[in-house]
Amino acid sequence: MDAELIYRAVTTLAKGVSVTLTLASIAVAIGFCLGLGLAVMRVSSSRLLSGFAEYYSAVFRGTPLLVQLFLFYYGLGQFDAVRDNAVAWWVIGDAMHCAILALALNTAAYTSEILRGGLMSIPVGLVEAAKAAGMSRVLRFRRIEFPLAIRQALPAYGNEIVLVIKGTSLASTITVLEITGHAKRLMSQTYAIFEIFTIAGLFYLAINMVLIFAVRRLEARLASPGR
Amino acid sequence: MQFGLAQLWEGGWIGALLRGASITIAVGFGAMLLGLVIGIACGLIKWGQVRPLNWLVDIYTTVVRGVPELLIIYLLFFSSVEFVARIGTAFGWAGLADTGYPFLIGVIAIGTISGSYATEVVRGALAAIPKGHIEAARALGMPRKRIFRRIILPQMLRIAVPGLNNIWQATMKDTALISVVGLQELMRTAFIGAGSTRNPFIFYLIAGALYLVITFVSQIGFRRAERALVLKGRA
Amino acid sequence: MKLKLISVAALLSLSMGIAAHAAEGELVIGTEGAYPPFSMADANGNVTGFDADVGNAVCEKLALKCRFVVQAFDGLIPALNAKRFDVIISGMSITEERGKQIDFSRSYGEFPNNFIAKKGTELADAKDIETLKADLSGLRVGVQGGTTHAAYVEKNMPDVQLMTYDTLDQMQIDLASGRLDSSFADASAQSDFLAKPDGAEFQMVDVVIDSSSDATLGTGLGIGIRKDETELKEKINEALCELGREGTLKTSSEKWFKMDISQTCD
Repeated sequence: MDAELIYRAVTTLAKGVSVTLTLASIAVAIGFCLGLGLAVMRVSSSRLLSGFAEYYSAVFRGTPLLVQLFLFYYGLGQFDAVRDNAVAWWVIGDAMHCAILALALNTAAYTSEILRGGLMSIPVGLVEAAKAAGMSRVLRFRRIEFPLAIRQALPAYGNEIVLVIKGTSLASTITVLEITGHAKRLMSQTYAIFEIFTIAGLFYLAINMVLIFAVRRLEARLASPGR
Repeated sequence: MQFGLAQLWEGGWIGALLRGASITIAVGFGAMLLGLVIGIACGLIKWGQVRPLNWLVDIYTTVVRGVPELLIIYLLFFSSVEFVARIGTAFGWAGLADTGYPFLIGVIAIGTISGSYATEVVRGALAAIPKGHIEAARALGMPRKRIFRRIILPQMLRIAVPGLNNIWQATMKDTALISVVGLQELMRTAFIGAGSTRNPFIFYLIAGALYLVITFVSQIGFRRAERALVLKGRA
Repeated sequence: MKLKLISVAALLSLSMGIAAHAAEGELVIGTEGAYPPFSMADANGNVTGFDADVGNAVCEKLALKCRFVVQAFDGLIPALNAKRFDVIISGMSITEERGKQIDFSRSYGEFPNNFIAKKGTELADAKDIETLKADLSGLRVGVQGGTTHAAYVEKNMPDVQLMTYDTLDQMQIDLASGRLDSSFADASAQSDFLAKPDGAEFQMVDVVIDSSSDATLGTGLGIGIRKDETELKEKINEALCELGREGTLKTSSEKWFKMDISQTCD
């Protein structure tokens, strides 16, 4: 293999790392909040709320992320109403913002399923004890249900973050220059297909390894104080 | 927007989208089948701790699950095309270059991806089979092949069904990525329609709806399979 | 066993020599299929356009049957080298970079390239390359991935925000929606866009950028051929010369571009 080419590929692709991480972290942050809201709606006694959350999750989990991305970026971009509305166009008009939107809405659906599982795993007795102790609804959620649900859901949520990182590569299809975007551009200049895509893959692999390691550490830390 | 369902119908786009959907389903089936074969083989290797091989399987599942699907498709499509062309020729598919070729790449790429997830599901299911069953069969003097066919495989499949359902859903959705390398499946058809009619919204909306129908229908199928397998297990 | 292996290997290497689809009386042509009016594919995979005309005329001269395979532009060269098809005819310019990967026939045409801009902007009135560069600085400019246009802008205009698209369609949708300030493509693709309702607010920038401007833009359009196929290359060159002499290329060019872009041998 050509050392000069590899050097060029590594430095070029490294430029995409920060974009990939920005996309993923903002999408995960927004997606987590939305997902938490949806999970709470899902377990609520209101048929309307739980029904909405269920359909939301079915639609976003039942369609490919690529379709969602193109629907938001090219689909919504065709309407004058969207283009003339400053806020809507700030989101849809910019490829990066639009990619974050699609990723966040998508991961919110998966997050809601994971957190719902966590919420449902909480022993009824604990919640009843908190009620008996006179804890308010909000306090109960914050001190009892939420921490327990998170601890339960953490391993699955770690996998979900990995999926978001992988999903960011689709942003390259709407002109965002993250790792895959740079890789594709470099490929069409040098045709060193194997080297470039392998190096790009290693970047993702490294990011995901670090992430999985961090989640494991967090799991271990969360597990101990309970005992 | 003056462009509606009537124009879609007249332009022949509805038919084209449905044809695309059928190709999507075909790629999904092929990939799932390949993924199952890979998953069962690799799952057995991991379960049985077959020494040098299980390391390779570990590398395979870690790499494939840690790298974006799109990248795997690009790599396979752009680089080892020659390798795939050879497989195609060996099966007498050379004449199918136009559609058969991206199809084959699609099945191999997506199958490789679902195979890595299937490996974990199969391994988990194998681990869940009570050891006593296998020991009992051995005590009865059943040959290894028959133990696998009569004891291990049926139980494993039953335990694995929910996991495989998840993989099937993911596989169906991953097929959309093949559109970027030119197979005219559902997403690609929507893409072409969006470009040539300048109405991306309606095309991607219909594509999304069709994917939803596919996942919904297959969900029902899987629920039936789950029930059937459980009943059989009790009989 | 060993014998069996050898024979399988022999079979494989034989079937690999599909270099000659030609042996089956076919010339398989890779083309983009989404680049009007060079190469347009319909829903059934039929290809029309200037490149289809050139392809069909060359096939006729070589007494072969033409078969078109549609493939995204930036995947054409890898696919040719992987023997998915025998030649590339897809409005592809002959460049030094590409020449490292594949061979080219002699040029069968040459096309000017232009930027387009929103009417009434400074950029739209640029008259020479230096003002053009200055006006473009900081703007969002669309190009198609893997093209000479992408290479040219990247090399000569480091100050622009370059946006790369898989197809011309997507780029034009983004021009219309206002996500792009300008785009760089060949004059024919640009006038094609300007003629559409979406292009009403845009105009061509009056600075022609052709192969004499920069080496990245190449030396005319060529038919891509694998490096080891010198015989096929010679035959195609002869065919192109004959087509040029007979005026076939000129007629076809005028039909699709309303002007003669063809290049002849003399």
